[in-house]
Amino acid sequence: MVIVDCDCHNYWTDAEVLLPYLDGYWKDYFVRGEKTGPTGSFPHGHRAWFHPEGFKRADINPETQHEHYTIMKEKHLDRYNIDYAILTGDEALEASTLANPHYAHALVKAYNEWMINEWMPLDKRFKGSLIISPTDPHGAAEEIRRIGGHPDIVQVLASHGAQRPYGDPFYHPIYEACAEMGLPFAIHLGGQGGVNSTPIGAGPTTYFWETHALLPQTAMTHVASMIAHGVFEKWPDLYFVVIECGVAWVPSLMWRLDANFKALRKETPWLKMLPSEYCARNVRFTTQPLEQPANNQHLWSTLEAMDGKNTLMFASDYPHWDYDSVDSLHIPPEWRENILGGNALKVYKRLGASHAALAAE
Amino acid sequence: MTGQMIKVCKADDVSPGNQKIVDVNGMSVGIFNIDGGYYALLNICPHRGAALCEGPQCGTTQKTNDYEFIYGEKDAVVRCSWHGWEFDIRSGAFLADNKIKAKTFEVSVSDNDVFVHI
Repeated sequence: MVIVDCDCHNYWTDAEVLLPYLDGYWKDYFVRGEKTGPTGSFPHGHRAWFHPEGFKRADINPETQHEHYTIMKEKHLDRYNIDYAILTGDEALEASTLANPHYAHALVKAYNEWMINEWMPLDKRFKGSLIISPTDPHGAAEEIRRIGGHPDIVQVLASHGAQRPYGDPFYHPIYEACAEMGLPFAIHLGGQGGVNSTPIGAGPTTYFWETHALLPQTAMTHVASMIAHGVFEKWPDLYFVVIECGVAWVPSLMWRLDANFKALRKETPWLKMLPSEYCARNVRFTTQPLEQPANNQHLWSTLEAMDGKNTLMFASDYPHWDYDSVDSLHIPPEWRENILGGNALKVYKRLGASHAALAAE
Repeated sequence: MTGQMIKVCKADDVSPGNQKIVDVNGMSVGIFNIDGGYYALLNICPHRGAALCEGPQCGTTQKTNDYEFIYGEKDAVVRCSWHGWEFDIRSGAFLADNKIKAKTFEVSVSDNDVFVHI
C-alpha cells in the first residue's frame, strides 16, 4: 500500500532563513521593516485566537533547523512508513493576510525557493507545494509558471483565509496557470487575520478550540463559490484540494447546493451539472482532523454520501496538536488503500506518474 | 383509454404567457400557448407534487460555455409554483436535470377548440 501524507508541515526555526532568497527593496523591508514580533518572525496579520499551548505536538522540540527534518523523519516519516510527504510549509501561507500584495508575493517566492533548495533535497519522499498569495493573482500566476514545472512540485497552495470566495473571477488567473502547468489548486486552513477579516460568520468567536471547530465555514464558502462561478467548467481537469477543513459537512452542503441549484439554475447558466457532480469530479478533501463521533458508523454513513472512498486523501498535519496517525485513522478498512495513497496518486498526477515509473523499474 | 381527445377550452382563452388550468377527466392539466402553438402538462410537479402549471410561464437563461447571460426560450418554460423548478413546456424536461420530466399530453386545435389527447 502506498502512503501519501497530504499535509506535512516543514517548519523554519525562524523566518530569517528566507534572507538569502530576498533582495533589493523586499530584503530591506524584511530586515529593517516593521514585523509582527521580534527578529525572525514572519510578517503577517495574526489571527485573533491564540492557541493556549502553542499548536505543535509537545513531544516534537527541534532546536536547530536540521532537527526539524531529523525529528520529522524519526517520529513521522519512518515511524509510519510514509512513501510521500507533501510539504505544506507553515507561516508562509500567512502572507495572504498582508495588505501589500507585492510584499506578500515576494515573501512566498522566497519561501518557495527556500523549500526547493533546503527541504526537498533532504529526503526523496518529499514533494512540494508551491505557495502563492491569493492577494496577487497575477503575481501568483507568474510564480506558478516560473517554478510550477519543477518535477517534485505537486500542487499550488493558498491559505483558506481569503478576502473573497475563491470562485471569484479575481482569482481566475491562478487557475488558468494551474491548469496550464497541470497542478491542483489547494487551500489549507490558515490566513485568518489581517485583510482576511471574515473567517467566522456572525463575527469573531472567543476561544481557540471553539473557533478551530468552526473554521470549516470558510471552506464551505470556497467550495460553493468555485462550483457556482464555473471554475470547473472553465478548467474541467482542475483539482481543488481542501486541506484541514474537516469533511463531514460536505454531504450536507452538497444536498443544499443541489436543491437550490435545481430551483435557480438560471442564475448560473454556465453550469452543466449539479453542484454535487462538480464536487465529486473536481474537489478532494484531506482527512485530518477527521471528525470523531462516539459511533464511527455515523461518520462512515456520512462519508459514504460523499463517496469518501474516492474523494478523501490522508493527511497527518504533522507536527500539530491535532495530528492524525496512519495507524489510528478511523476509516472503513476497505477504503484504506484509496484514502491512504491511491486517491492522491490520481490527484497529484505528477506524483502518480513518477511513482508508476519507479514501480516499473 | 388511449386515443381519447377531450375538449378542454377555447383556443383564444389561452394567450402566450397566460396558461389556463383545465380539468381533464378529473386530472388538473395546464394548457399553454407558445407563439400560437398549444401544449399541455399535467399540473403535478415531479419534484414534490405541487401545482406545476400555476407558476410563471416565462423564458430563462440559456446554457452557455461562457460567463454570460443569454435570455431565451420566451414563454417556453414554466417555473413550478412552489420550488421554482424550470420545465420545458414542449418536452416536459426539467432544465437542471433532464433525467426528470413532467408529464406532457398531446394537444390539437380545431375550430378554436383545444383538445387534450389522453
